Amino acid sequence: MTVTEERTGTAPTAREARVTDEHGRRVRIGELAWRYALLLLVLALTVGPFLWQLSTSLKGPTEDIFGSPPSFLPEHPTLHNYERVADTIPVWDYALNSLKVAGASVVTNCVGSALAGYALARLRYRGRRVATLVFILAMLVPVEGIIIAQFTTMRELGLNNTLIGVVLPGSIGAMNVLLMRNAFLNLPYEIEEAAYVDGANAWQRFLRIALPSVRGTVAVVAIFAFMGAWDDFLWPLIVLSDPSRFTLTIGLNYLHGTFANDERLVAAGTVIAVAPLIALFACLQRYFFRGVGEGAVKG
Amino acid sequence: MAGVSRVRRQLPTSPWLFAAPGLLVVGAFVLYPFVSTVVNSFTDRRTLLPGRFVGLANFRELIHDDMFWTGLRNSTLYIVGVVPALVVLPLLLALLVQKNIPGITFFRSAFYTPVVASIVVVGLIWVWLLDERGLVNSLLETVGIGRIGFLSDQWLLLLSAMAVTVWKGLGYYMIIYLAALANVPRELHEAAAVDGAGAVRRFLTVTVPAVRSTMVLVAALSSVAAFKVFSEVYLMAGPDGGPAGEDTTLVMLVQQTGTGLTGRVGYASALSVVVFVVTVALMLLVLRADRGERA
Amino acid sequence: MPVPRRALVLATAALLALPLSACGSGEDGGGSSDASGKVQGDITFQTWNLRANFKSYFEGVIADFEKKYPDTHVKWIDQPAEGYADKISADAAGGTLPDVVNVSPDLVAPLAKAGLALDLDKAAAKYKPEYLDGAWASHEIPGMSGTYAFPWYLNTGPLFYNKTLFKQAGLDPDRPPTTYDDLFTDALKMAGQSGGKVATLANVPTIEDFGRYGAELMDKQGTGFAFNDAKGVELLTKYKELFDAKALDPQALTATPESTGKKFLTGAVAMNPGSALDLDNFKKQAPNLYKNIGITDQITSTGHVNMYVMGVMVNTRTKHTPAAVAFAHFVTDAQNQMSFAKKVAIFPSTAGSLDDPYFTKEDGTDETRVRIAAAKSLKNAVNYTPVLFSDQMKTALRNEVAKALQGKESPKAALDNAVKACDRLLQQEG
Repeated sequence: MTVTEERTGTAPTAREARVTDEHGRRVRIGELAWRYALLLLVLALTVGPFLWQLSTSLKGPTEDIFGSPPSFLPEHPTLHNYERVADTIPVWDYALNSLKVAGASVVTNCVGSALAGYALARLRYRGRRVATLVFILAMLVPVEGIIIAQFTTMRELGLNNTLIGVVLPGSIGAMNVLLMRNAFLNLPYEIEEAAYVDGANAWQRFLRIALPSVRGTVAVVAIFAFMGAWDDFLWPLIVLSDPSRFTLTIGLNYLHGTFANDERLVAAGTVIAVAPLIALFACLQRYFFRGVGEGAVKG
Repeated sequence: MAGVSRVRRQLPTSPWLFAAPGLLVVGAFVLYPFVSTVVNSFTDRRTLLPGRFVGLANFRELIHDDMFWTGLRNSTLYIVGVVPALVVLPLLLALLVQKNIPGITFFRSAFYTPVVASIVVVGLIWVWLLDERGLVNSLLETVGIGRIGFLSDQWLLLLSAMAVTVWKGLGYYMIIYLAALANVPRELHEAAAVDGAGAVRRFLTVTVPAVRSTMVLVAALSSVAAFKVFSEVYLMAGPDGGPAGEDTTLVMLVQQTGTGLTGRVGYASALSVVVFVVTVALMLLVLRADRGERA
Repeated sequence: MPVPRRALVLATAALLALPLSACGSGEDGGGSSDASGKVQGDITFQTWNLRANFKSYFEGVIADFEKKYPDTHVKWIDQPAEGYADKISADAAGGTLPDVVNVSPDLVAPLAKAGLALDLDKAAAKYKPEYLDGAWASHEIPGMSGTYAFPWYLNTGPLFYNKTLFKQAGLDPDRPPTTYDDLFTDALKMAGQSGGKVATLANVPTIEDFGRYGAELMDKQGTGFAFNDAKGVELLTKYKELFDAKALDPQALTATPESTGKKFLTGAVAMNPGSALDLDNFKKQAPNLYKNIGITDQITSTGHVNMYVMGVMVNTRTKHTPAAVAFAHFVTDAQNQMSFAKKVAIFPSTAGSLDDPYFTKEDGTDETRVRIAAAKSLKNAVNYTPVLFSDQMKTALRNEVAKALQGKESPKAALDNAVKACDRLLQQEG
């Protein structure tokens, strides 16, 4: 997939002295200026709200957070609000639980959707269309309407109040299966044909040839899975009853429910909840954009 | 395809083995609960009391339920308000970040952060921003416009929720467009430029036709999501759906009527079924429109 | 074909058949309702958003209980405020309800109807004299015999008002309104003087307000609602007048308890109901306001103020009925309620506790003054909210009230519709 990589061109070309575009052509200064102006404007709109939240969380109890004109920077930055969050809820335990759930979800989603996606895209058998339809239908089901039925199922399996129970319903997302299917569909047949001639069976072709070619899409699935598991609120709340197993979003809700009047504390809580995701994404973004280049998210 | 079909003879069970984990999970935790929801929609089941079969009574009641029509109106308005913005703005954004100028990787990632953040966090952030004494109103007052009750007026609330949906969706759809744009041949642009076409003309005559199918996909995805909207409105307008419940969406209504100890599971299930049917119909409509236009 | 079609058909059939068997909780399984055996075994105790502030208190209570009954072990779980009803209903429907559960009367009703709450008139009648009569009765359910939870803590509160705003509006800051008529007159004057900038009230009327105003909420048999009577319509008409004059905050239709609290703190609203708990909050968050806060009694036309009741119920399915009943009683007994009351501004529901010097002796502080006044009013307070008033009914009432305030319906029509909707829900919940 090197071709695609060059095309989306995530590798910065800043090393060169003059500014060029993705085709090595020079970009005019005037154009550059308005492009950066627009970029900065959008940046303010998309990232600004998070920074405002961060700023609120760092303001001390004596600072006015409602003032007009607003003060963007805390005058006396303090971590006091974060300490208070940690005093109120066992935030590190909850973060660990969230991490376990999200980690497990990443593994099951990557493995499960790659396998199923490969079966839908590359293997021939009767019932393939039905299987594909099953995943498409599953994607359209409104989750809010079926949550109690999901809980009943989980209880019958004896998995309520376990972290496994939290992971299971989202462990192989229909959306992710379809993403993987698309990625495999976009692979040229010829690559596998060669391996087939060499006598490789389906498992070998999957593991050695097909899978390595769609690494980017796997990264996309990994990020989606992590986000989904880390961000989920209602399902963990319903399926867990033991507070020692709570996840971070439930803890965040605790804060909001108990200290709704204290914007600084709630802000600190949201920062704790969102920071790991941003860090993770920053680390994985190269693979992520490559996966996008593979056409994973295209219809 | 001859080669592939020979594989079947070699390893007869492997296709199903590949698909089994996925089918099992989706079947047990999505489709089975959904089938039970469909079954429930024909009963008067409640949270703690088993139901009796009541035929189409729930669906008949729906038609006479004012809240159902309010919900349908809001969910439909949501599509109208959100989908055009999500089809156009991310495309423009993708064009902006497409060019490899220094630091562009940073901007791309930064524009994606709202997608990464949980909707609960996003809700808390925006409720705080749009609060009567929040940042947006402080700025408006400083500028001299005065404070606006974003979170108290029925229509402003719905608009604010839509704005948040668009804000959170921008990065996601931008990425989809970015992938599609990568496949637009450069030569097309150059030919148009040689013909003396300006940026706007080139956008309309080259870019748009080239990414048309992606635009249809974005329209389909975002309209399904918009119709099922829950979290944004729930978090901003409150569990009751704003003043007099006027901002309630269909899925919020499912949640309101079906949950809690006195939840009417049967009736809420009927609502879920309606949501599902409309969603599927929407999907088909968009795809049909696309095919019809292309033919 | 390796996967037989038969298997698919079977799987589909199973899928279709199972949901029906999963319906409802039925009467299967579970323990006995006899609480007289030996107190032993492991039980689970669930509270409602109390861990954040009272962790050490509950750990102490549990340790004491386990010391008293060495063969028991109590596991304490606490749930967040939001989604509590969802959590309980999922557990109740799924058969995983804890043994001892912190509930409010409106949560008990559906659980009792489903046979999940133990009838304490049968299982624990001997403890009844330990509690205030009114508190014990608050977990009775119309249409059923029996009492389904131990009363736990009570709460009520005064009305706070902003003396500065009263002064600015030309009202006497030392003579706050004591009747509804005074309240409405003062509110209109306040709005007029401030050009609509200062509202006096921030909340739309709830079922409890209708009760306090003197409307009949339900008929005597508990089979239908009646708050669309003359009194009810009168109250809503008054509120509409206030709303039009901006004496009722324009944002009242979307108000939450937090948002109204904030409005009072920032001086946008002149009066706010609250509890002794709020005083501390005022002191910290708005020291300037605190100096100018006036405290007056809840306004009521019936002579009875409103109180909130929390309860502790025992799950009928518990495997250790004696231990569960013993623990539910232990948490709510006079001694433990008293020490809880000293930690936080709530009031014990046990007989005689309110005569404790802690609730009768002034020490010059505002906290004590509020506490004593509240304790006094609690002796004949009423929990106005009908036990059968479900969340869905609250939503129906709130929506109709909003329509009346917005002028989309007349107050009479709105209340008629609300009563009709609530009656229908009541029948369906039957």
